[in-house]
Amino acid sequence: MLPDLLIALTMLSNFSLVATSRVAKAIQFAVLQGVLLGLMPLAMGLGRHFHIVLLAVAAVTVKGWLIPFLFRRALKQVQIKREVDPTVGYTVSLMLCALGTGLSLLLAHNLPLKPGTEYVLMVPASLATLFTGFLLLVSRRKALMQVVGYLVLENGIYLFGLLLVEDMPALVEAGILLDLFVGIFVMGIVINHIRVAFDSTDTRHLAELKD
Amino acid sequence: MLDVALVLASTGCWFAGALISAVPRAPERLATGLGLLGSLLALGAALHLLLGGAVSGLDFRVWGFPARLELDALSAAFLLPLHLVGGLGLIYGQRYWPLQLAWGSGRSLRFFYGLLVAAMTLLFLARHGLVFLVAWELMAVSAFFLVGTEHEKPEVRRASWVYLACTHTGTLLLTAMVILMAQRSGGLLWTVLPTATSPWFEGGILLLAVAGFGFKMGVLPLHFWLPSAHASAPSHVSAILSAVMLKTGIYGILRVSSLLPDIPRGVGGMLLALGALTALYGVGNALAQRDYKRLLAYSSIENLGIIAMGVGLGWTGRATHDPWLMALGFGGAVFHVWNHAVFKSLLFYGAGALLHATGTRDMEALGGLARRMPRTALTVFPAVLAVAALPPFNAFLSEWFLYRGLFASLGRGYPWSSALGLVALALVGGMAAVAFARFFGTLFLGSPRSGLVDHAHDPAASMLLPMAVLAGLCLAVGLGAFLLLPLLDRVIAAMAPGTPWPPALLAVGLRVDLRLLAGVELGLLALVGVGLAWLHRQADAPEADLPTWDCGYAAPVARAQYTGSSFADAWAPVQPGLRARRPRFRGLFPGGASFRQAFRDPVGEVFLEPRVVRVAERLLRFRRFQQGHLPVYLLYVLLTLLGTFLWMLLRGRLLG
Repeated sequence: MLPDLLIALTMLSNFSLVATSRVAKAIQFAVLQGVLLGLMPLAMGLGRHFHIVLLAVAAVTVKGWLIPFLFRRALKQVQIKREVDPTVGYTVSLMLCALGTGLSLLLAHNLPLKPGTEYVLMVPASLATLFTGFLLLVSRRKALMQVVGYLVLENGIYLFGLLLVEDMPALVEAGILLDLFVGIFVMGIVINHIRVAFDSTDTRHLAELKD
Repeated sequence: MLDVALVLASTGCWFAGALISAVPRAPERLATGLGLLGSLLALGAALHLLLGGAVSGLDFRVWGFPARLELDALSAAFLLPLHLVGGLGLIYGQRYWPLQLAWGSGRSLRFFYGLLVAAMTLLFLARHGLVFLVAWELMAVSAFFLVGTEHEKPEVRRASWVYLACTHTGTLLLTAMVILMAQRSGGLLWTVLPTATSPWFEGGILLLAVAGFGFKMGVLPLHFWLPSAHASAPSHVSAILSAVMLKTGIYGILRVSSLLPDIPRGVGGMLLALGALTALYGVGNALAQRDYKRLLAYSSIENLGIIAMGVGLGWTGRATHDPWLMALGFGGAVFHVWNHAVFKSLLFYGAGALLHATGTRDMEALGGLARRMPRTALTVFPAVLAVAALPPFNAFLSEWFLYRGLFASLGRGYPWSSALGLVALALVGGMAAVAFARFFGTLFLGSPRSGLVDHAHDPAASMLLPMAVLAGLCLAVGLGAFLLLPLLDRVIAAMAPGTPWPPALLAVGLRVDLRLLAGVELGLLALVGVGLAWLHRQADAPEADLPTWDCGYAAPVARAQYTGSSFADAWAPVQPGLRARRPRFRGLFPGGASFRQAFRDPVGEVFLEPRVVRVAERLLRFRRFQQGHLPVYLLYVLLTLLGTFLWMLLRGRLLG
C-alpha cells in the first residue's frame, strides 16, 4: 500500500518537473522525488536488512540534504530563476512526458518480471522517471536544469535497482550514490566556470568548443 | 626456475629504469645502470639456457585461470638480440639524444625505450594468450611513442599514426587467432596441442598468424608503415625497432607454429614464396632511396623476407617430416635473426652518427665522410659487407644455411617454391650488394656534395663503443659460427616439440663445413692483411692530396660526381616505386632542362593512400551528427534507447 503511494507520488512529481519553469521549484521537486525514493526500501518492509537501512539513510542524506545544499550554492552563484526558452516548450514537454509514461506502462507490461514480485508499478515508474530525466536533459538549455535532469535520471535508475535490492551487493548501490554526488559536485563547479567563461549558463555556447 | 626468475628480474630492472627516467631531473646514471643490469641478467639467463640449462617456467593465475611464463630455447634465442641491442642502445642514446634536449623529449624517449624493452622481454616469456596480447600491445604503444619522439614535425606525426593504425589492425587479427587457439585447446594457456584435427584448422591459425604478425614483420603488402616509421624515429630507436621489434613477428609465427601438432603441407611453400617476394621488393626499393635511413628500413624489409623464407622452409620440413630441411630452415631463420640484429643495429647507429654530425638524411647532400669521420667509417664498413652477405661476415653464413636448405629441398621434390627461393635469394644478395655499395660509396667516399659535411666529426666514445662492439660481433660470429651450432640445435628442438627428431642435427651436419669455411676465411683475411701491410710499406712517403683524374674536364666540381641515384639508375627496372621525369632534348642547341626523380612506395603511397583519403572524405558526411550540443548527443542516446525498447516490444509480434 505504502510503496504504491510513494510510486504514484514519484510519477506525479515527474509531471511537475517537466511543467515548471522555475529552477528553484524544479530542484525542490527533484529533491522531493529523491527523498521519496530513499524511503522506498523502508516502505517495502525491508527494514530487517541492516545494509539496506544504511543505504536508505545514506540516500536520504545525500539526496535530501547534500545535493540541495550544492544546488543552493550553485543557484546563489549563477543567479538565475527561470528557464526562459527551453528547446521544447512546457506544454509539449508535458505531453511528451505523458507519452513516455504511457509507453513505459506498455513496455513494462511486456517485460517478463521475476515471479512473485509484488510491486508491478515499480518498473513502469522507473522507466517513466528515466524518460523524464532524459527529456529534461535534452530539452532544457540552462546548465542547472540539465543537472536536475541528471538527478531525475539517476532517481529512475535507483528505482529500478530497488527491484533487485535484496540480491544486489550494497557496493553497487553505494557506488551509484557516490557517482551521483560526485557528478553533481563537479557539475556545480563546471556551471560556475561556464558562467565565467561565457557570461551565461546557456549550454548552447558550449558548441563553440567543438573542434 | 632460476633462469625465468632472472629474466623477470631483468624486466623489473628495465621497468624501474624507465620509471626513474620519467621523473624530472632524473638520475640518469641510475636509470642507465638499471637497464644495463637488466640486460646482463637476461643475457646471462638466455645464454645459460641455450648452453644446456633446463627449460624453466613460472605458473600463476590470471583471474582464477592458470597462466604461465616460461623460458625455453626459442624465447632465449630472441632475448639475446633484444638485450644486446637494448643495452647498447641505452649507452648510445645517452649522447645521441641528451636528456636536456628540447622540452622533455629526452625523458619520454628514455621512459618508452625502457618500457619497450621490458614489454618485449615479457612478450618472449608469455605462454598465455591474454598475457601475450597485453605485452604485445604494450610494446606496440611504446613503439608508437618512440616513433613520435619528434612529434613537432608533421611527417613524424604522420608516420607514427600510420604505424599505430597498422599495428592495431595486426592486433585485431592476433586476437582472432588467440580466440581460435583457445577454442581449440580449451583455455588461453599456450601448451602444445595434442593431436591434429583438420588441416583447415591449423591452416586457419597459421594464416591468421602470418597476417597478424605480418604487420610487424613487414611482409609484402603489409610493410608500408615501416620505412617512414624507421626514418622518423631517433636512430637508436630505429635500431631496436628493426633489430628486435620486427622480429617479434617472426617469434610469433614460430611460437604459434611450435604449438601446433602438425603443419599443413602447402603453408610452408607459400610463406617461402611470400618471403622471397618481400625480400626482392625490399631490396629493389632500397636501391631507390635517397634518404639513408629509409634505405636501411627497406633493407630491413628485405632481411625479414629472407628470415620468412627460412621459416617457410622449416615448415615445409616439418610438414614432410624431413628433419634436415627443418633444421636448415629454422636454423637459418634464427641465425639470420641474430645476424640481422647485429649488423642492422650497427648500420642504424652509424646512420645516427651521420645524422648527428651533419643534420641531414639526404645521401646526395653528403659525401667524403670517410676523411672526416674515419672511426665511424671503419666501424660501419663490416656491417656494409655483412648486409651484402659477403664472407667472412656473419650474414653470409645464415644465407648459406638457407642456400643449403633450398638446394636440399630442390633435391627432394618441392621444386616450385624452392626454385623461386633460390633465384630470389641470389638476386637479393646481388642487389643488396649494389644498394650498400651505393650507401657506403655515396656517404663515405668521393668529395663532399654540400657544406653540411664541413663540420662533421666522429661522435663521442659512448656512441662509438656500441658500434665497435657490434662490428666486432659481425666478424666474430662470421668466423666462429661453428661454436653456435649447438645453440641453434637447441632452438630448433624447441620449435618442433613432441616429435622424435634426432638431436644435434646442425652440429653433426655442418660442423666440418663451417670449420673448413672459417679456416679458408681466416687464411684469406691473413692474406689481405699481409697484402695491406705490404702496400703500406711501399707507400711510405705521404700521399699528396690530389683530385682524381677528371677525364680532361677543365672545371670539375663536387656536384658533377656520380650521385647515389645515378649509381643505382641502371637498376631502375627493379625499383617499382621510382618515378623519373626526364627532359627531352630537341635541336642542336637545346635550352635549359631539368630532371626530376621521386620515390613513392607502390603499396602504401601509390595504392593505399588515395583510397584511404577517399574513404575519409566520404566519412566526413557523418560530421554533421557532431553538433557540439550536449542535449543533441543525449537525444541520440534517448532515441537509441527508445528504439531498442520498441524493438524488444515488437520483436515478438513481428517475428512471431
